[in-house]
Amino acid sequence: MFAYALRRAIWAIPTLFGVSLVVFVLTTLLPDPALDEGGSPADVAHRLRLDELRRARFLDLPRFVNVAPTDVRTGVDACIVHLVADDDDAELCEIRLAQIGGAGLPYLLPHLDTIPPTPRGRIAMALAPIARRMGVGDERELASPSSAALFWERFWEDRSVDFTAPAVHREVDRLVKRGSDLREEELRFVDTFALEQLVEAMRLTKDRDALVRLTRLASHVTERDVTVKPDDDAKRVRAVVSDWQSWWYVHDSDYVALQGGAKVTASIAQTRYAKWVLGAATGQLGLSTSDGEPVFDKLLARAPVTLGMAFLALLLSAAIAVPLGVLAAWRRGHFVDHTTALLLLAFYSLPTFLVAELLATFGRASDAGFVLPVVALATVSLSVMTQQQRASMIEALGQDYIRVARAKGARTLRVAVVHALRNALVPTITLAGVQFPALVGAAFVVEEVFGIHGMGWETLRAIESRDAAWIVAVTLLCAVVTTACLVTSDVAYGLLDPRVREQQIMRRRTT
Amino acid sequence: MSDVPGDPNRESIPLLLARTTSRIALAPKEARASLRVPSTRAESAGPIGYLRSRLGAAGTLVAAALVLFAIFADMLANDLPIACKLHGQLWLFPNITQPAELVALGGDATSSEAEWKVSALVPHGPTSPTAAPLLAPGRVTGHPFGTDREGRDVFARVIHGTRTYLVFALAAVMVSLLFGGLLGSLAGLFGGGADALVGRAIETVSAFPPLVLVLGIQAAVPHATVATLFLAIALTRWPEVARLVRAEVMQVATRDYVMAARALGASPLRVLRRHIAPNVRGQLIVLGAIGVPAVILIEASLDFLRVGPPAGAASWGETMSEFRDAPMAWWLLAFPGVFLFATIVALNLVGEARREMMDPRTR
Repeated sequence: MFAYALRRAIWAIPTLFGVSLVVFVLTTLLPDPALDEGGSPADVAHRLRLDELRRARFLDLPRFVNVAPTDVRTGVDACIVHLVADDDDAELCEIRLAQIGGAGLPYLLPHLDTIPPTPRGRIAMALAPIARRMGVGDERELASPSSAALFWERFWEDRSVDFTAPAVHREVDRLVKRGSDLREEELRFVDTFALEQLVEAMRLTKDRDALVRLTRLASHVTERDVTVKPDDDAKRVRAVVSDWQSWWYVHDSDYVALQGGAKVTASIAQTRYAKWVLGAATGQLGLSTSDGEPVFDKLLARAPVTLGMAFLALLLSAAIAVPLGVLAAWRRGHFVDHTTALLLLAFYSLPTFLVAELLATFGRASDAGFVLPVVALATVSLSVMTQQQRASMIEALGQDYIRVARAKGARTLRVAVVHALRNALVPTITLAGVQFPALVGAAFVVEEVFGIHGMGWETLRAIESRDAAWIVAVTLLCAVVTTACLVTSDVAYGLLDPRVREQQIMRRRTT
Repeated sequence: MSDVPGDPNRESIPLLLARTTSRIALAPKEARASLRVPSTRAESAGPIGYLRSRLGAAGTLVAAALVLFAIFADMLANDLPIACKLHGQLWLFPNITQPAELVALGGDATSSEAEWKVSALVPHGPTSPTAAPLLAPGRVTGHPFGTDREGRDVFARVIHGTRTYLVFALAAVMVSLLFGGLLGSLAGLFGGGADALVGRAIETVSAFPPLVLVLGIQAAVPHATVATLFLAIALTRWPEVARLVRAEVMQVATRDYVMAARALGASPLRVLRRHIAPNVRGQLIVLGAIGVPAVILIEASLDFLRVGPPAGAASWGETMSEFRDAPMAWWLLAFPGVFLFATIVALNLVGEARREMMDPRTR
């Protein structure tokens, strides 16, 4: 049985893959900020901001295959090339080198003396902000190109031993366990070289004091002001940590050197699609462009409203549909049957927003909270479910065991409920699973009419403010929910009716 | 009927007024044959003609009326008269041809300055602001359905909205039928890799709630227009068609006469056109008839939510959405609502009647 459920779940994987592709295509439709706003290439601040915007959506990466994945080494090399050539990008590269910081030093300083003197001085000057962040060297040394170059050469002779991953790892470990200002100071000496370990440690530790130190260090070396304060509440702490995680997810290629097998996997992993899919799977859906909140947190807040409403509506419509369907089947071809058929057709054809608007208008006096929206939503699936219940009930009533039960003298009600309904309920239950996504879709409209702040309401606001990240996330969530419902529905069908199980497996095999 | 496991559109199978057995294949064929389905009135009446089904006839009638409204919208509501003599010049059907001179002159001036004229039923166009905003409907005001918040005549907007919606929905359904039919028959005919690919594509697209996918596409596309909406809606509709055509093609392809045609050297295309298409055509018509109201519903919902592209002439959803800002103006909700409801009911009835005609099992 479990194997069957598992098998059905595995069948959904290609679908999920397809879903991810469709939503990914949707993200590529969104306008590229680089095309949106002009700005001259000389405006370095503007270019940096633009780069940041594009990187947040992985637009700097190729779509599916990355033939030349970048890491800190290639980043530093590219900067050196530009600085030696002294071209348009040189100014930008100075800033980039300072941003890459300590992580880039092991790939830069050993080769410093092979670079011609003029660019060497320029590079050494560009690195000055790093020295200030580390708190080493004095201003006089860093003031002129030649002395700065000398300073960095000396720095590397003294300190290269600190720039090894195991050493930093040990330091960060100690900082988390027994934080002290001295240890923090020591980690500042390696600057961004420690960033990978810092972010990793943030993820693993729950200790407030350690988080304060870790985020302070990370903020110091990256010059982004996102820190945990000692008196922050738990929610804020979580937000800061997840902020760092998603920042690292976007920027790790600036600070980490690819080695060995990682280089090969990077050609797949360092692509727009892979980064986006993996991010989405781990709840990193980016930041909402309208208010800068993490989309995932917003989704966690809004989705339960919509999903809960849809679920209640499903329950309500099932509660009406089952008795009504049984009644129509029992009195098949008679007045009751025809009347319900007509009524259901009317319900089926009523636009959801019309029902919702009518209920909202007439129900405004008595503010009944969730009741009216749920009623409005329930009309969406009522017809289909009743019809299904009626059809399966008619089929059940025609079975031989009903005749037998009747012949043996069972009462009408007993025959209907115990013998027929038990079997006739199965298709309706599974239909409910399929109806759920339809209700979620309809809930978008109902929420807007009743002003309920759920997913749909938020989506319409997002469309107004062109909040791309939210729209993509909602589309993805809806598709995943639908697929999950489908799998559940099929598994439930198989559980309740073994014949279906066989059939499903057989059918899959032939196709 | 549905060979794709985990068929998410299963809910569309047991449609309204469907007569008997569950169409979700519950038992193997042999078992179903042994079911003793008691005879019903409908069955004993023998094959009923489609037009003799009263509801189907009523639906067809309403649908025909709506089509006539759409065709003759300019006769029913337009600023410019149907014919007039103005400054010694005779104008015929300026309401349709929209000559530049008269448009520049304006509808009111044309009417008042004309020596004689034959006006449209309601002498107001759908887009031109005429009288005071939010005028209640009535004979006195000359606006049978009242006016909206911008003073546009609601009757004109409703009538012209019929055209907007019907044309749009028909076109979107056509495209989805074409696309779905093509892919479905490809999958059914060739099987193997093509089939697997189309099957996964069907599953993928049906994993999105249609409204959500359309909203997502409309929001993601840099400049959402009617064309993108059109494509987005067609995209959400084709899987249903493809699924049906694929199943049907697969089933028909095993018949003896198809085998014989193949053995005689007919190309797959010829087999598809001559032997399979006639079997599928009826089903396609049913899907089309059911698809049109579904598309209209989505479009109206988008207009109501004010996220659709700017509608061409007029749209019911847009007028109805104005009700939310003017809750006392019931006519903004009522008249387009009735038209929308009538359209959907009528087209569903037509689809149902066609389905019953096609499929003796459901009788």
